[in-house]
Amino acid sequence: MSRSLKSVAEHSRVEYGTNAFVFAQINGYTGVQLSFLEVTNLKSRRLKAASALAVIFSMAGCGGSSVKLQNPSIPEPLIDKLPLKVAARYPEVFDHFVHEEQVIGKEKWSIDLGQANRMLFTQLFGSMFTEFSVIDADDDARDLGLDALIEPSIDAFEFSVPSQSQTEDFAVWIRYRIKIFDTDGVQVANWPIAAYGKSMTTTFGGDAALQRAAILAMRDAAALIILQMDKATGISKLSSAKKSNAETAPAVPTPESEPINLHTTAAEEPSDETR
Amino acid sequence: MRLAKNPGLHRLIAVVIAGSMLGACVTSRVENVREGNTGILEGEGVVIMAKSYHLGNETEAKFIACVGDSIGRGKSGLRVIPNNEFVDALFPWFEPRTAPAETKGLPTLMSRPGVAEMIKQKGVRYVVWLDGDTDKVAGGGSLSCAAGPGGGGCFGFAWWQNDSNYQASVWDLSGLEDAGTVSADVSGTSFLPAIVVPIPLIARTQNKACNALADQLKLFIVSEDAA
Repeated sequence: MSRSLKSVAEHSRVEYGTNAFVFAQINGYTGVQLSFLEVTNLKSRRLKAASALAVIFSMAGCGGSSVKLQNPSIPEPLIDKLPLKVAARYPEVFDHFVHEEQVIGKEKWSIDLGQANRMLFTQLFGSMFTEFSVIDADDDARDLGLDALIEPSIDAFEFSVPSQSQTEDFAVWIRYRIKIFDTDGVQVANWPIAAYGKSMTTTFGGDAALQRAAILAMRDAAALIILQMDKATGISKLSSAKKSNAETAPAVPTPESEPINLHTTAAEEPSDETR
Repeated sequence: MRLAKNPGLHRLIAVVIAGSMLGACVTSRVENVREGNTGILEGEGVVIMAKSYHLGNETEAKFIACVGDSIGRGKSGLRVIPNNEFVDALFPWFEPRTAPAETKGLPTLMSRPGVAEMIKQKGVRYVVWLDGDTDKVAGGGSLSCAAGPGGGGCFGFAWWQNDSNYQASVWDLSGLEDAGTVSADVSGTSFLPAIVVPIPLIARTQNKACNALADQLKLFIVSEDAA
């Protein structure tokens, strides 16, 4: 008896004593049955099977996962490019973004976006503007003869898993912020974007569903930026503004000079931040 | 080898398979409302889409795939353009946030650069927008299973009722108009009696709704020649 019990413990690495609980779930109805494992005369194969089952069932309910996004991309958008020379400067977090979500008392999920944000915005802005480049943090944008400098960032990232929402859905919310600076380095827009993606676990399985929801949220952000960026930030006016500035205004902006048109949401105060 | 030598196990498997093949009670109602003439020419196709989840729609991706497969299958099958291919080709105009919610948004959409050309290139004549889902509306009973070294088994009885309600709106992209709607409402109760072996009598309401809706959509689209 004691030798067999020791064998069970060795296989399963779980101390059960003389009792084992076996759970079975059929079509949503959970039955719990207590079985007394008379392990004395078990053969080795049965021991292995029983211990494997014990491990599997003991792990039930300890879900959670770590998901990594692998080079997501957006399709080439069907749009006319804006005739602007634009550069983007990305924050460090765009190279490696990891978010964790702990469901209280249950599982822990984490999602690693890696360089997904950098790839998304590079592909997106490359499709939106006739000339686009990415500059480093220490590059001076004023030396590059740009019409505009864009600085996207992530304000917030959240997701919910089925055990939180009591549905079969994984949902991802991303709040980006896009700051736009004119040729003189004056901030002309500060635009928050809320994007959302949802995917069902029954369709793609847990990890894949969360990945899919994140990709859908990023596509949602891309669609919103394509549709509303010019209206929300007035970026297309920067090119002509630069030309008219060159013709009429002094070459060096005076401290009293006003930004062209600072676009923000109603809830936000214009920033006088300059670069 | 072990399976072939065990006639008891054979019988058990046969009972489970036979049980799973038995249908439970299902009632279905399929209706259509025609708003305009339909018809489809050679080379023209349909694309099956889910209404946006931004509008609260919960249609399962599995159901959308099922309807697409069913419409494309058989002698009278229509040409179905894969949903993902269509959405990617027309990015960003058919994303959940940006897709037109009504046919009156179609003229604006078609006037956008490259959209009409891409739709023509893909040969899309109809967009079918699916709405609805399958819900478990009732259930009861109890069932418990146990397994031990000497074997295992289940005992009890469980039942549940599923309702599958789906609606398909058919948009004709050639006339930029609403061609009509087809709806399927399928209700069924599944039973799971178990005396040692559980015998599932499953009402496959979603599958039934898929096939009924797809068959009716095929008839709806081809039945009148608008060419």
